[in-house]
Amino acid sequence: MKRITAMATRTAGAALLAVGVAACSGGGGAATSATDGAGQPAQTTAAGFQEQHKGGTLRLLAKSGDGTLDPHINYSNGNWQIFQALYDGLVSFRKVGGKASYDIVPDLAEEMPQVSADGKTYTFKLRKDVKFATGEAVTVDDVVASFQRIFRVSGPTSGTFYSGIVGAADCVKKPAGCTLDKGVVADAAANTITINLVAADSEFLQKLALPHAVVLPKGTPDKDQGTTPIPGTGPYKVESYNPNKQMKLVRNPNFTEWSRDAQPQGYPDEIDYNYGLTPEGAVTAVQNGQADWIFDPLPADRLTEIGTTYAEQAHVNPLAAFWYIPVNVNLAPFDKPEAREALQWAFDKNALVKMFGGANVAQPACTILPPAFPGHADFCDFPQQDLAKAKELVQQSGTSGQEVSVVVSDDDVSKQIGEYVRSTLEQIGYRAKLKVISTNIHFTYIQNTKNKVQLSVSQWYADYPAASNFINVLLSCASFREGSDASINISGFCDKDVDAKIAEAMKLDQSDTAASGKLWGELDRELMKKGPIVPLFNPKQIDFVSKNVGNYQFHAQFHALLDQMWVK
Amino acid sequence: MIGYILRRFGAALLVLFAISVLVFLIFFATPGVDPAARIAGKNADPATLAQVRASFGFDKPLPVQYALMMKHLFISHDLTSFVNRGTLVIPQIIEAVPVTLSLVVGAAVIWMVLGVGMGTLAGAMRGTLVDPLVMLLGVFGVSLPVYWLGEVVNLITQKQLHDSVFSWVPPLGYVPMSEGIGQWALHLLFPWLTLALLYAGIYARLLRGELINALNEDYVRTARAKGLSERRILVKHALRCSLIPIVSLFGLDFGALVGGAALLTEVVFGLPGVGKLTYQALQNLDLPVIMGTVLYAAFFVVLANAVVDVLYARLDPRVRRA
Repeated sequence: MKRITAMATRTAGAALLAVGVAACSGGGGAATSATDGAGQPAQTTAAGFQEQHKGGTLRLLAKSGDGTLDPHINYSNGNWQIFQALYDGLVSFRKVGGKASYDIVPDLAEEMPQVSADGKTYTFKLRKDVKFATGEAVTVDDVVASFQRIFRVSGPTSGTFYSGIVGAADCVKKPAGCTLDKGVVADAAANTITINLVAADSEFLQKLALPHAVVLPKGTPDKDQGTTPIPGTGPYKVESYNPNKQMKLVRNPNFTEWSRDAQPQGYPDEIDYNYGLTPEGAVTAVQNGQADWIFDPLPADRLTEIGTTYAEQAHVNPLAAFWYIPVNVNLAPFDKPEAREALQWAFDKNALVKMFGGANVAQPACTILPPAFPGHADFCDFPQQDLAKAKELVQQSGTSGQEVSVVVSDDDVSKQIGEYVRSTLEQIGYRAKLKVISTNIHFTYIQNTKNKVQLSVSQWYADYPAASNFINVLLSCASFREGSDASINISGFCDKDVDAKIAEAMKLDQSDTAASGKLWGELDRELMKKGPIVPLFNPKQIDFVSKNVGNYQFHAQFHALLDQMWVK
Repeated sequence: MIGYILRRFGAALLVLFAISVLVFLIFFATPGVDPAARIAGKNADPATLAQVRASFGFDKPLPVQYALMMKHLFISHDLTSFVNRGTLVIPQIIEAVPVTLSLVVGAAVIWMVLGVGMGTLAGAMRGTLVDPLVMLLGVFGVSLPVYWLGEVVNLITQKQLHDSVFSWVPPLGYVPMSEGIGQWALHLLFPWLTLALLYAGIYARLLRGELINALNEDYVRTARAKGLSERRILVKHALRCSLIPIVSLFGLDFGALVGGAALLTEVVFGLPGVGKLTYQALQNLDLPVIMGTVLYAAFFVVLANAVVDVLYARLDPRVRRA
């Protein structure tokens, strides 16, 4: 998932949020959730549909629209969340709150696919009687056309998530006329789809559960449909969309619930997503009952009030994400291992958590993989700040006195963190400078090796629950592309041994998740020692809803399940 | 005169061209701005990136890209946003114009009435306590930044006193006139007042100065010698002459505001006008929309300037020959 750009503005004042907000409160409906030891919401008990709450209009707010409506192309948090109520893939993440939301369940497929022994062939049996919003039934041809379309529109993840399908490599290079004729094969008589992979991929089902792989009607044009809604299979359809004003969802008349786990029917009759208010204005609107929910991060100066007066309307949940310092291992002084280790000792992560808004909106990070995330191992080799040790390591590395600059984006929290990092670097013996650049260009700027960024402060939000989505994406040789604005391995870290271990762990993921989890944990530990990344803290999501919203459920992957909120 | 007008408009076109080139070059000179990388998405495969680059024409030389963009904007009118793809730029601007016009025209009426009233009052009552008091009020208006004042107005009307005194204030946002003039005006009332306060202060101070100068002129003395009433002298003679610089300043301010300079007011009050469109486009580096709104704004500023110049030339022949 796209990182949240304006991860805005939480300051220490928000510590008061502690007062009232329960760690994760259910909305007053049947499905309540609590927090387990690991800080993850515990599994929610599946509840049946409660007819008495059906109806009404749910009013959502965001600063602005979130780009194209085309689910094969859009790669943003805001629209991915909305797509949950609009589209389905062959499989999907279970649509409940809590940890169970990481489970993959059959969606347009009748049951989980049959996977061949070598893990390269997946056979799905398609459900009958599922219809698009147009009234036409979903057929195997639609599925094949949808897979072709991922490549024909050069989808953002076509070359990464779906490149393992047989024939995909050619399709990425030549999108027009992509057929995948050996990769995705339909059998209309048996109503099955067979997908052939070049090599086994333990994360394939998770990738299929993302909006980029949803099934659209065949005949959908092979170009970005922009603001024109594409008919889907979910309980709602888009009636109108103007990214400067409003997205309006109404019930899809051709929807009947086929699986409560995969695609439950929604409560409100209509969902109005209005764009244009500032987050300050939006908070006031929710307080006044003029709106029901806000997409954007809440402004810092309102958190205290929300945590006290409006505590019952706030929901706090941990995110599969971290704030971190990518350390450029190819530029002095951090090309020296001792200098990188010094960084691991240098920072007081509790102080950083305070800058972000306190213990209720973040927790200090010791590892690359967030707590309760697959592969996370509970170790902490750099448990607290040790400035003396850091200083000594800097001297050992012979880089003391060198000039170092930290590039941060211009939102309040990043600036504050940047200033703290700068002053700490001074304390351990560097001549440090802070460079603040616009949030709009920061994320791409720090990726490009041409800009010679030594240190920066960035964030990463998981696309799906797999250790590789942190370690392989952020630290493998393949994601380091010199001179490009799209080089997500910001540290420029490329280690053949580590790459081999990543490959091994990913392979093991297919057969033995316990063993692979252990391997990921070890890799995490090894990478912490090598120091291409300094994890700072794991943020939490705060959702503020109006008084009349019930049945709030937090999905670990796609956040609040909007169509499951009731307003009656 | 015709020659002068033609020259003036030729220069205006040149300015517009220069501005568009400048916007284009600044955009591409900014590091970390590669539109292909943004469109292709996070962690895009290099082959996907290359495809996106080619399909959007980002692999072509900059002058060609510039020409293509101008062609889409002015000839085929189908320039689309990079961020909200599929959204045409020109209809977005056309849709935003009535919002901005509603805001600016309403505010302009208020500030002209307030500004002229306060300026005349202060000028006419010079030497009494009224003058410094009115001027203090003017300074007060000038020194309150719109974005701060707007937030405070929101805080009071939407939050602190929303349940009591201001329960009649509708939620933030814009309601078109087609849904009833009453609702339209009610939604715009506080934005109007907020925007007008700044300009009223400026205009009052300016008018006061002009008026005091005018009241010392020979023709005012002559008028007094003729036995005209003070009221008549003030309104028919002194005020009339003092209004000339006010009117030309008004032309420029109005042009700039319609062009999008009411950005802060629009953002704070959630009004989807041209200023807000510009602000959003700048926020997510959406070059086509930035280009569209900047050219639109520049057009109004340049047009207002040109009209003012031509009017001056009409009034004063010396300008024509300069």
